[in-house]
Amino acid sequence: MATLQLTRLKKRYPNGFVALHGVDLSVAEGELIVIVGPSGCGKSTLLRTLAGLESISDGELTINDRRVNELEPAERDIAMVFQNYALYPHMSVAGNMGYALKNRGIAKDEVRRRVAATAELLGLGELLERRPRQLSGGQRQRVAMGRAIVREPQVFLFDEPLSNLDAKLRVQMRLEIRRLQKRLGVTAVYVTHDQVEAMTLADRLVVMNGGHVEQCGEPMTLYAQPATRFVASFLGSPAMNFLPLTAHQGGVVLPNGIQLALPFTLPEGRAATLGIRPEHLCEAASTTEGAILEVTVEMLEPLGADMLAYTRLPGLDEWLVVRLDGAHAAHEGQRLSLTFSPAHCHVFDAEGRRVAMAEETDAKVRAVQ
Amino acid sequence: MAYFQRSHFMPWLLLAPQLIIVSVFFFWPAWQAVEQAFYIEDAFGLARHFAGLSNFMAVLSDPAYYSVIWTTVVFSLSVALGAMSIALFLAVLADRVIKGGSTYKTFLIWPYAVAPAVAGVVWLFLFDPSLGLVTALLERLGIEWNHNLNGGQALLLVILASVWKQMSYNFVFFLAGLQAIPKSLLESAAIDGASPMRRFWTITFPLLSPTSFFLLVMNSIYAFFETFGTIDTVTSGGPGSATTTLVYKIYQDGFVGQNLGTSAAQSVLLMVLVGGLTFIQFRFVERRVQY
Repeated sequence: MATLQLTRLKKRYPNGFVALHGVDLSVAEGELIVIVGPSGCGKSTLLRTLAGLESISDGELTINDRRVNELEPAERDIAMVFQNYALYPHMSVAGNMGYALKNRGIAKDEVRRRVAATAELLGLGELLERRPRQLSGGQRQRVAMGRAIVREPQVFLFDEPLSNLDAKLRVQMRLEIRRLQKRLGVTAVYVTHDQVEAMTLADRLVVMNGGHVEQCGEPMTLYAQPATRFVASFLGSPAMNFLPLTAHQGGVVLPNGIQLALPFTLPEGRAATLGIRPEHLCEAASTTEGAILEVTVEMLEPLGADMLAYTRLPGLDEWLVVRLDGAHAAHEGQRLSLTFSPAHCHVFDAEGRRVAMAEETDAKVRAVQ
Repeated sequence: MAYFQRSHFMPWLLLAPQLIIVSVFFFWPAWQAVEQAFYIEDAFGLARHFAGLSNFMAVLSDPAYYSVIWTTVVFSLSVALGAMSIALFLAVLADRVIKGGSTYKTFLIWPYAVAPAVAGVVWLFLFDPSLGLVTALLERLGIEWNHNLNGGQALLLVILASVWKQMSYNFVFFLAGLQAIPKSLLESAAIDGASPMRRFWTITFPLLSPTSFFLLVMNSIYAFFETFGTIDTVTSGGPGSATTTLVYKIYQDGFVGQNLGTSAAQSVLLMVLVGGLTFIQFRFVERRVQY
């Protein structure tokens, strides 16, 4: 059980490429932090610098308030689960799990006892004598987990551990990882590019982009109040809808001339982006007041519980994806009137940063009164 | 597809080039050798008579034959193990090189492109008792080098030349083998607390075992047969018979001594020996290779 502190952590490769531009992050005891981002955002590099597999160019990394920048991977007391599991193919399951303990000079009986106990925990008891190639994907995944658990390390590192599994197994193992991590109460850093995995596993979520941390916080906070357009577009499936807008007379105007009254304070004439999640668009009743968008359905994707409608506003190229009820009788070419609550709107300025809603401050003022 | 399945002629036609080459250059001469082993023939090849097993008896009752076997064992083991261990060492180093790696690799592969006889001559010059560069250096260290007189030194020299020649071949395979080992395995072992030395012996070396086994077979065959050119140019089997291996003795007895019958008997024995050795390697060593 440990705390982890990253202070302005930088990684520069010898060829001049900067993979991490100063990352600040503190991880509390027993917390599961998920780092998520697209390929090449530096998330794996970050994990590898934590493990000691990559050197740290600048900044400081401490585990339990002890500076570990210069320590070898073995001396940091961490365990890592690799994407390809990295099981030793020439060793049995027991051999794989006991390898780290043997390297640390632990007595044979003790190694056997701890391997057996961990195997029991993971349901691997029957498989201890098998070789990795005789195991299924899910079993290999479990062995990789077991190899990490048996050492009782200070910190667990996971590098996209579920990406080689099929969809069904992935959901199952996701729950299992969560259960084990809570049960063992060990601090963990988990890297993934899958936003569903990220949302479901994380105590706190770190969204990375281009070597920077875009936003860090509880999953639902990031979902409801993304700090940047990037975070907004990365979390949520289907992704948030974005429409270009210009500030006009205290409201906003879309490129096709539709005016909307939105409670955002932008200087007159400033260009920005409006973001609305598909589930926050709904059909307007004839009595609805406020912002109404008249759209044409161009494509439908029935998902069972939901129906995704790909619609377009007249005169605009951007898709507007709407999450309708699964039983909705929509058909292609149909016209829909959509409405949304201003509270569910997100506005991002030209640099992609969130613009505060006027009412957020108003609401606070009212509450104080 | 249907056409190919109906035709019995086509498969044979496609196999023919390979079959013809193997027949002309292997089966026919091998059969000739086996046949020859049972005859005594005069030096000019004008007359021969069936001799039963007497050629074999002559070979096996000659004490010189056993000393040649011993020389061959020492020579082959030294060449195979020497060439493999040096190549593995170099491959491990080359695998770690980041800058200019391909230059090193090209230089290390070059000796393989040198013909055995040429390689022999190069080493002969270096170690020439009166003119050689290495000989001069050794003299300064107080070591007198004359492989024309000293049998042990002569054996060492042909071993050195043969190892140098074969090293490149092994290097290429070991390097490929090392590069096929996923980096994450070694990283995982590093996190698991294994020192670099321990990582090599517990992870890298076992994972290289298929490559090592293949090279063991290839190197044994090389040491037995393909070192002929090197031995011939460097020492011609001498001094005395200090560097005469089984293959070299077959050449000496058959083509120099014109004793075709015993020479053929020796080559049959050698064939059986190498066949047996390869069988043992496959039967016992390969079992330990699989993982």
